[in-house]
Amino acid sequence: MSWHVHLPALVIAVPLLGAFIAPVASMLGKVARNFWLVGVSALTALLSVLLWQQVLTSGTAIYVMGAEAFNLSLPSGMSLPIRIILEVDAFSAFMAVVGSIAAFAGALFSTNYMERFSGLDKFAALYFLLTTGMLGMVLTGDLFNFFVFLEIASVASFGLVAFWRDRPEAIEASFKYMVVSTIGAMMILIAIAFLYGRYNAVSMAAVANALRLGYAEKIALVFLIIALAMKCGTVPMHMWTPDAYTEAPAGVTCLLIAVSQASLYGLFRVCFSIYGASLGSAVVPWTIIILGVLSMFIGVSMAVVQKEIKRLMAYHSVSQIGYMLLGLGVGLLALSDPQAMADYGFTAMKGGIYHLINYTMYKGLLFLTAGALYYAAGSRNLNDLGGLARTMPYTTFMFVIAAAAIAGLPPFNGFVSKLLIYESTFAVYPILSIMALVTSVLTLASFVKVFQTAFLGPAKAKLAQVKEVPPGMLLGMSVLTIVIIGLTLFPTWSLSNLVEPAAKALVNQAGYISAVIGGGL
Amino acid sequence: MWTKVFSGFGYWDVYSWIIFFFIASGLVLWIRSMGRSDYKKGTEQDEIFYGANAVPEDGSEIQVPASSAYWGFVEALKGYYEKLAEMHSGLTNDYVGYMVVVAAVLVVLVLL
Repeated sequence: MSWHVHLPALVIAVPLLGAFIAPVASMLGKVARNFWLVGVSALTALLSVLLWQQVLTSGTAIYVMGAEAFNLSLPSGMSLPIRIILEVDAFSAFMAVVGSIAAFAGALFSTNYMERFSGLDKFAALYFLLTTGMLGMVLTGDLFNFFVFLEIASVASFGLVAFWRDRPEAIEASFKYMVVSTIGAMMILIAIAFLYGRYNAVSMAAVANALRLGYAEKIALVFLIIALAMKCGTVPMHMWTPDAYTEAPAGVTCLLIAVSQASLYGLFRVCFSIYGASLGSAVVPWTIIILGVLSMFIGVSMAVVQKEIKRLMAYHSVSQIGYMLLGLGVGLLALSDPQAMADYGFTAMKGGIYHLINYTMYKGLLFLTAGALYYAAGSRNLNDLGGLARTMPYTTFMFVIAAAAIAGLPPFNGFVSKLLIYESTFAVYPILSIMALVTSVLTLASFVKVFQTAFLGPAKAKLAQVKEVPPGMLLGMSVLTIVIIGLTLFPTWSLSNLVEPAAKALVNQAGYISAVIGGGL
Repeated sequence: MWTKVFSGFGYWDVYSWIIFFFIASGLVLWIRSMGRSDYKKGTEQDEIFYGANAVPEDGSEIQVPASSAYWGFVEALKGYYEKLAEMHSGLTNDYVGYMVVVAAVLVVLVLL
């Protein structure tokens, strides 16, 4: 038996081990701690890529915890899967790759960025726990297990958002996030209880197979949608994001972006793989589309007027989530109509999923460049910055690439995913595309403002001593820049190998169910 | 790997764009090369034009601060921005309230 069969478990186990060993590694000194932080993150990213390769070649991977055999999802004599099952289809594997790359870039960046601070043993442990939670959320095939990983990620992120505990703003941001997140978690737990009560199962595949839409199922669906939409920063439940993203250290914000995408993953796993065609009416798809449009427009409106660079970028995160909700919402709308799915639904889904990887990469990079500015100039207020392109040329170059990508300027990757979303949503209602286009124009406007005020203009006397950030931070930013350039230059490869398999896996509810319970219950 | 991305309504070809970019860049550089290079350095021809005003010595006075950028846009949408600011109160009670209200509305819509 090849060790590759254990990849689903290893992708979660390696960062979990990293979290527990981090305080011990930190006792050996700064170099050992940094080596551990970067090494474990790199190994996790490598394992995620191997898992993605395996899933593309061999199909959905199943891993059963505690069974006699790792692939024994339905023990003989039993009609329901009873153990914790990791179920990794192309969408899950895609998410693991995206998340682990962001985690690696954030870890690399943090080696230099965090060196001025104490408590880094705890930082490293929490960072790995957050990575573990995120990866667990996207790899599990079990609803309760999903809740547990969501809570691991949440608790780790509360600690990391409040890491600079001498700043009252950081404590406040963490507290607000904790209150909202805990209520969201309770909603998820109640929804799982509803489904467990009805079907005696928490396996996503088993619940999906048995699901018949009644009152309990509808209420569970609403609770899951609202809680997960809040976790990914959807308007009007987005209020925690500007506070949390602004106050968290930059490397952590990069990872928080990936964690928000894991929540978005959960939202679409519930809608497509668990409920699927049994959603029935168009209320849920339209709710997701409307929330997406509101997120796009309100997020970007708030971003345009910000003068604090990380807060501006945080509002853009809200706006960008809207694009993904719009794309995947249109896909959900077309789910029960094969003709609509062929005409525009699948293209919208591809656009949404492509935007998901694009967003994670360029938004992660933008937060890292904001962190680099804060590290070098000591301020996040754009009014205090100016003329930094002369002294920070590499950071400027990477900022321009990320800003052009998020604004959807051709030929960057953001343009390709937005094009797919514009054209497919136009077929549903032209106003949806128009709103998306207006959002894109306002996104460009606000990043022109950042570029003009922070990087251009005459050098300010008080910034005369500013110099380029250390190599670790540049390397962290470079990782994401390289991925963005790759996605820009090879959009066809990215769509065929990364995006399309993920979109196909998401619409293939029967495949998701049969991978765990074979011929059904 | 090298083919076009088809959206079902049109297509995107990054390599055509890059070829066009290089052709356009070549044209721009050619037009630039046609400009006069015999301007007199150190005279007023060489100075910054600052709306017929004297150029401030302190560079920070030249720059429009971020808080003033898009002033006209924000002023024109003052009513909209006042509502948005009201919505973003910073109060945790409001954060939770929005989530509960949206959940309640959606429950009603889904159950109907």
